[in-house]
Parts: sequence; structure tokens; C-alpha cells
Amino acid sequence: MKRGYLKSSPHFFRPVKAAFALTVLLLLALAFLVPAPLQEQANLARVPNPVKSAWFLLWIQELVSYSKYLIYLVVLLAASFVALPWLVPGAPTEGASWFARKRRALDLLALTVFAAVLALTAVAMYFRGANWQFVAPF
Amino acid sequence: MIKDFIKHLFPRAVLERNLTLSYTFCLGGLAFTCLVLLVASGGLLLFYYQPTPPAAYPSILLLESSVWGGRYLRSLHRLASHTFLVLIMLHTLRVVLTGAYEKPRQMNWVIGCALFFLAVFEGYTGYLLPMDQLALWATQTGMELLHIMPLGGALRSVLVPDGVGEAMSLLRFYVLHILMIPGALFLLSALHFYRIRKNKGVLPYL
Repeated sequence: MKRGYLKSSPHFFRPVKAAFALTVLLLLALAFLVPAPLQEQANLARVPNPVKSAWFLLWIQELVSYSKYLIYLVVLLAASFVALPWLVPGAPTEGASWFARKRRALDLLALTVFAAVLALTAVAMYFRGANWQFVAPF
Repeated sequence: MIKDFIKHLFPRAVLERNLTLSYTFCLGGLAFTCLVLLVASGGLLLFYYQPTPPAAYPSILLLESSVWGGRYLRSLHRLASHTFLVLIMLHTLRVVLTGAYEKPRQMNWVIGCALFFLAVFEGYTGYLLPMDQLALWATQTGMELLHIMPLGGALRSVLVPDGVGEAMSLLRFYVLHILMIPGALFLLSALHFYRIRKNKGVLPYL
């Protein structure tokens, strides 16, 4: 065995198995406590107010409620996201690390976008009522 | 045989310092665990679900009221799908903040992006299937968002040729949800894992 290396079995497999088992057990237990909702049967004649999209799309719904042209911002974000490896300046870093100095601006931008998506989702989920008006959450 | 197959998916030896949890937090692996759980729970749900507009909702009612463990199984599937999406988002954020997308791993980053978009699409197609009010109107709103995107109108007419919740669209969402998108997810996941090995393992050595 080369210096600094360990055999995958058992050193790597052990944490992999533990993570797998813990995730499965946690989800199996939580599923008892969090029941899946089921509303009345779908009816196109009965439009709820407000109409909300799936939670993972709510941030886009909130964004386009200000202007439908903001959808282009979403498209631009998605395109930049895919093109990320080609947007980093300079030669590749020797070793990957958290918050490397040369990527500081990109990391800050990524964190800002992530926080904005979270904030927009929370606003749409808890602060939007009938006719998409702002309401108190509780 | 299965044990040996799984063993061969991993390298024979790993760098000791790569086993540090704080490099990756194992988020990608945990997301894949959720995907496996989703396939298992979804596979069982298939025995009762009927993908037609008049029968879909009653089949869910039957599952919840008359099938032993049916309500629990549906809750598990829903919870695993939400967890799957959250873990993929966190995994993506981790990859961004550690710079693990940089060259020479750019191809695996693109595969990861495809996995991310497919996971969202998988969640979206699954939303309609119970055919309750929540499902119908959430899907309808999603389609309106798609419609205002560039080329969204054309994509919408492929996905929903006869209106959200009608026979053809429900069937398309069903086939996409249970067959095509999971198939693509597993295929791309295999490619994703293969590329990790080809690029000499997980962090920190690029």
C-alpha cells in the first residue's frame, strides 16, 4: 500500500455504509411523523387563491410576479451555472479547497444567489395570500 | 455477486486524508441513497396507482385507506423526494464553494448540472400524479412558468398536449416520472461516479 493510502475495505466502505444506513433509517422514521398531504380531487372549475407552484419552483414564481421578463434572469443564471468551469479566471487550483482566494468573488456571488433563492421561496411560501398579496405568515 | 459488484464501483485504495468528512459531507452519496429509496418506494406504489384522470385520485384514496402501510409508503416517497432535492442542492453548493468543478473536472460538472435539472424535472412530474387540487394547480402554475420561458411554449405543447391533468398529459407525466427520468438519472449517476474515479477520486486532489 502506497504511503498515505488506505484500503477501501473497510476504511472507506465503513463510513459509506454508515451514511447509507443512517439516511435510510432517518427517512423511514420521519415518514411516520410527516404524512403526505392529500387534498380534494382535482377540479379545473375550482381555482384556489392563491395558486402556488411546487416548493422548488416557488422562487421563480415569486420572481416573475414582479415582472415576467425576470424569467430571462433565471435562464441566464441556469446558463452561467452550467458554464461555471469556464468562468473561473486563471489556471486550475492545485487542490480543491473551501473558499479559495482566487474564487472569492464567484463564491460570494454563488452564496448571494443561494440566499436570494431561499428568501424568495420563503416569501412565496409564507407571505403570499389571496391575489398574491403580502400577508402575515401566521 | 452484488457485494462484489458494489465493491468494484469503488477504488481499491483511497487517500487517507480524503476520508475527512468536512471535504464533501457525503452529500452526493446521501442524495444517491435517497434516489435508491425513491425507486424502492415508488416501485411499490406502482402496484396500486392508475394513471388515468378518473382513476388516479381514487387509486390514491384506495392506497391510503385500504392498503396496509399504503399511507406510510406515500409519505416515505414524498419525504425522500424532498430530501433528495435538498441534498442535491446542498451538494451543488458544496461543489461550487470548494471549486471542485474546475478543470479537469468540467465534464463531470456538466453531468452534475444535467442530474440537477433532471432531479427537479422528476420532482415536478411526480407532483401531478395524485391528481388532487394541490397537484393540479401546482403543475398548472409550473406550466405557466415554462410558457413564459424562451421556447417554453413548444416544450409545453409536448408535455401537455391536451391540458394539465387531462388523459394524455397525465400519461406523459407518468411515463416520464417512472421510466424515462429515473433511467436517465441512473445512467448519468453511473457516468458521474465513473468520472469521479477517472479524475482521481474525491477532494482534495484535483
